[in-house]
Amino acid sequence: MTVDLRALVGPGARLDTRYPAFFRHRRVGEKVLITNHEGNWLLLSEDEFGRFARGDVRFDEPLHARLRDANFVRAEYDVQKAIARVRARKSFLHLGPNLHILVVTLRCNETCVYCHASRADMEAVHTDMSRETAERSIDFILRSTSPAITIEFQGGEPLVNFEVVKHAIAYAKQKNEAVGKQLEFTMVSNLSLMDEEKLAFLLEHKVQICTSIDGPEHLHDKQRKLPGLSSHKAATRWIARINEAYALMGLDPTLYHVEALLTTTRETLPRWKEVVDTYVALGCKALFLRPIDPFGFVEKTGARVEYPRSEYLAFYRQATDYMLQLNQQGVQILERYAAIFLTKILAGEDPNFLDIRSPGGAGIGQLAYGYDGRIFTCDEGRMLHETGDDAFLIGDVRTSRYRDVVGHPTVRALVIASQRDSQPDCVDCTYNPYCGVPPVHSHKALGHIWGSMRQSSLCAVHKGIQDYLFEKLAEGDPGTMGVFQRWTTVRSRDHFLQGLPAAT
Amino acid sequence: MTELRFHRDLYAGAAIDEAVKTYARFATFELAEEAAYWVVRVTATSDARANRVARELANFALGTTIRARGERA
Amino acid sequence: MSSVLEGLPSELVSADLASGAAQLRVDLAIHPLSAVYAASYVFLDRCFVLLDKTDDHTLRVTLAPRKPGADESVLRAFVGEFANELLSAAWRQQIAQDNRAVIEMVTSQAIAAAMGAPSLDDLAGFDFGDESFEDPLGIAMSWEEKYKKKPAASEGGGTPPAEDGGGQP
Repeated sequence: MTVDLRALVGPGARLDTRYPAFFRHRRVGEKVLITNHEGNWLLLSEDEFGRFARGDVRFDEPLHARLRDANFVRAEYDVQKAIARVRARKSFLHLGPNLHILVVTLRCNETCVYCHASRADMEAVHTDMSRETAERSIDFILRSTSPAITIEFQGGEPLVNFEVVKHAIAYAKQKNEAVGKQLEFTMVSNLSLMDEEKLAFLLEHKVQICTSIDGPEHLHDKQRKLPGLSSHKAATRWIARINEAYALMGLDPTLYHVEALLTTTRETLPRWKEVVDTYVALGCKALFLRPIDPFGFVEKTGARVEYPRSEYLAFYRQATDYMLQLNQQGVQILERYAAIFLTKILAGEDPNFLDIRSPGGAGIGQLAYGYDGRIFTCDEGRMLHETGDDAFLIGDVRTSRYRDVVGHPTVRALVIASQRDSQPDCVDCTYNPYCGVPPVHSHKALGHIWGSMRQSSLCAVHKGIQDYLFEKLAEGDPGTMGVFQRWTTVRSRDHFLQGLPAAT
Repeated sequence: MTELRFHRDLYAGAAIDEAVKTYARFATFELAEEAAYWVVRVTATSDARANRVARELANFALGTTIRARGERA
Repeated sequence: MSSVLEGLPSELVSADLASGAAQLRVDLAIHPLSAVYAASYVFLDRCFVLLDKTDDHTLRVTLAPRKPGADESVLRAFVGEFANELLSAAWRQQIAQDNRAVIEMVTSQAIAAAMGAPSLDDLAGFDFGDESFEDPLGIAMSWEEKYKKKPAASEGGGTPPAEDGGGQP
């Protein structure tokens, strides 16, 4: 992906330091991509880039206008425009932690080969969160400075401790009457313990439901063991039932439906078409082609499930190309990674996906609460605690003060380490304005929170996906561009918003 | 016996003291000072054990020195 | 007995295969001490690391993998990784220095927004003691403290000086 500047600038010519404003550059296919500090971008031909670099652009030609309008011309650099763009991209800096993950139990009735949560057996009732701990956690959560709060119930399998889930929701709503946050509840569940009574409660209290689907039935069941039963059948049965319930409530099915998450293992890679087809058949409108994480059981099962990221990127391209094709045939299915990056690239906004932003969300955008009330910078930090690493433990709901937790030295260190402008490689990377690598991932995979991006599997994934997206943007196919625009359009799911409207 | 020599410009004296205290129950230590070095002589039930304890102590002293620099910064 | 590690400059790197350790010579003019510390720290869980100074400008870093029986290829890998980490650390520190203002600004904004304004309970826990911060320019001094006439050595007290520029009709 390197650009041979000598070849582009031409023999005997010199790079000009007066014409170009600050830029970074990268080859994308036949074009050269340039980006600037505020995240504007242009795809230039080799000739155009060479002339830009030499300062050999006449003021009256279209290339100059393109460069000027995107703020790449030093003499006409619009500082106010740049400030406004940076402000838009960093708008999340003005908000406190909005995502709060409540791990209500470690018990789980399924065993997944890659389990990141370090699940416990069904007898391990000591890993259930108590009602009192749930209340203290909610009290803590409502102290967040963010006007909008999402409480996400996770596990293990949260349905195992459903009584505490119910109590936490009721308690949160009651306490919020005095506090006035905009509240959302979500639950990540394998759905195998769902029944009509539980569903009725979740629907009544407007809890968004998310599950995991690893693709076609044989693959899903192989990787997610439910003793004596098909975990795939259990999940898909309830996906259909919940979607039916939303439709009966009069909710738009294109907006209100169960979303599912994929964890890509080695066995998933050749099955890209089956995976997409499975999600479409289930009525899912989004597919998040997540590579495997280094947390939890993967330490032991890595030999079985892991893969080189080059193979993942080949899988990603095939699957996303197929999704683009389906979209142009009228099938709505969005790839989540692409949507996140395209929102930054095309819309100039940040969708506030906490793991892909600079600074990252650990401690300042999200907090995770263990079943025993311990507070962590993020869910991955909580996962590391379960495997003996307490580096990201920052408090306890019973004893810690809110400001001490979010102002904790560990949080400060993560904020600094996650800023792209403090990192070798990232500081010069063309994708700097759009990217982010969670320091917790670097800590686990590479031994320290800074990481080394040349060795980071996540950096490789992010670079690879952005290369793919910019290749598509360079091709400029109208059908693809239309799909990309739809993927950056966020439709709010207002049905799930409770409490007061968030102050803007 | 294993001898460790810690350059005064590179290791904090307090860090070496703390390391010696931490490993006190695993070996016997004799401390000495030279113009440019802190010297720690390690004796244990065997040479191999003395060598192992010495290496762990050296790591502990280095880690503590580095952490203390960070706290002062 | 000292031996060369293939592919690495012999004037900078040597190995003692019998003791399973490698040594690197680090020029402090190229790699600041802070970078050596940063790189060393990263290796403490996998290696025994010993630093020494051979002269005012040169360090010797000894790396001995914790796992016994390290052969030449293992030592070469550790040395290579350490050298890369040294470079990363040095560059990272330079970047942090160059971008210090924006990094501090973003960090302050992010933490301040997450923390929010202190509550009365938080303020109750603050230490507002006399010596809470240094004030070399006397900015935090009250008018009385600043302009109070200092008593002469033989006197027990004094009257405040007249204001500059008036106060009297």
